[in-house]
Amino acid sequence: MGAGVCFVAFSVIRASFLKYFFLNLYVVLSLFADLLRQSILRFYGVESPQYSYAYYYTDCLLTIALFVAVISLASRVFAELRLAKYVRFVAVLLLLGTAGFSYAVVAQSSERLGTTFAVELSQNLYFVGLVLTYLLWGAVLKLQETRTRLVQMILSLGLYFSAYAGSYALLNLAPKYEVVQYLAPILGCFLPVSWALTIMRHTEDSRLTPARLVAVPR
Amino acid sequence: MSRKLGALALALGILVGAMGLKTLVTAHGKTAVIMANGVSPVPKYPLPPAN
Repeated sequence: MGAGVCFVAFSVIRASFLKYFFLNLYVVLSLFADLLRQSILRFYGVESPQYSYAYYYTDCLLTIALFVAVISLASRVFAELRLAKYVRFVAVLLLLGTAGFSYAVVAQSSERLGTTFAVELSQNLYFVGLVLTYLLWGAVLKLQETRTRLVQMILSLGLYFSAYAGSYALLNLAPKYEVVQYLAPILGCFLPVSWALTIMRHTEDSRLTPARLVAVPR
Repeated sequence: MSRKLGALALALGILVGAMGLKTLVTAHGKTAVIMANGVSPVPKYPLPPAN
């Protein structure tokens, strides 16, 4: 939570709040969601339906916010190629397509349709975000992007998504080990921490130096 | 026009890839959900009946 506050505070201090508005929005929503979840958790307990419903609905909202954050980074990467309009078009199509697919999956379910839909949409958007982030990684490498902040934020998103997929696999492989149960909440801190470090250590003008190619005579 | 069709094809490709990946990852999973947001403990799924 501290890292999230730190990220938003440094974004404001360094006049980058609007430049990374959707990332800040995700972090702020994440802070509010955590506060809400913790208060319900203390009041009702982790086994209660109240906590489950609050958790899954806020998770759906946060996944949508994270998806929009990924799209905002993609818009910045492709802005110089004047493809930002098409990135937004793809984003809308993806969001509608994922919502349609999720509805088709849960439509047969007779009870708690709203909540099941929220969970399904959250799951599907998570995987769409994962694929999008890898594509964005590829684009960053191909376009030889040098803006340090942008590159580091995309890299941390990729690591975050990959780490979650890994923790899910571990959870299925070794469910009896308690340490695995705590991996997901620990990973929850990774994104705000890495973004906060990026915004603290680098300015908007920071650039990565591409590796120099050395011509070797043969 | 061709760029719009390209964007449509890209969106469909991403959607198919993502859903395929999800099926691959969750097909043999004992836990039904993968949650990626926040530091709070993940509650059990399927949901308990509401009071």
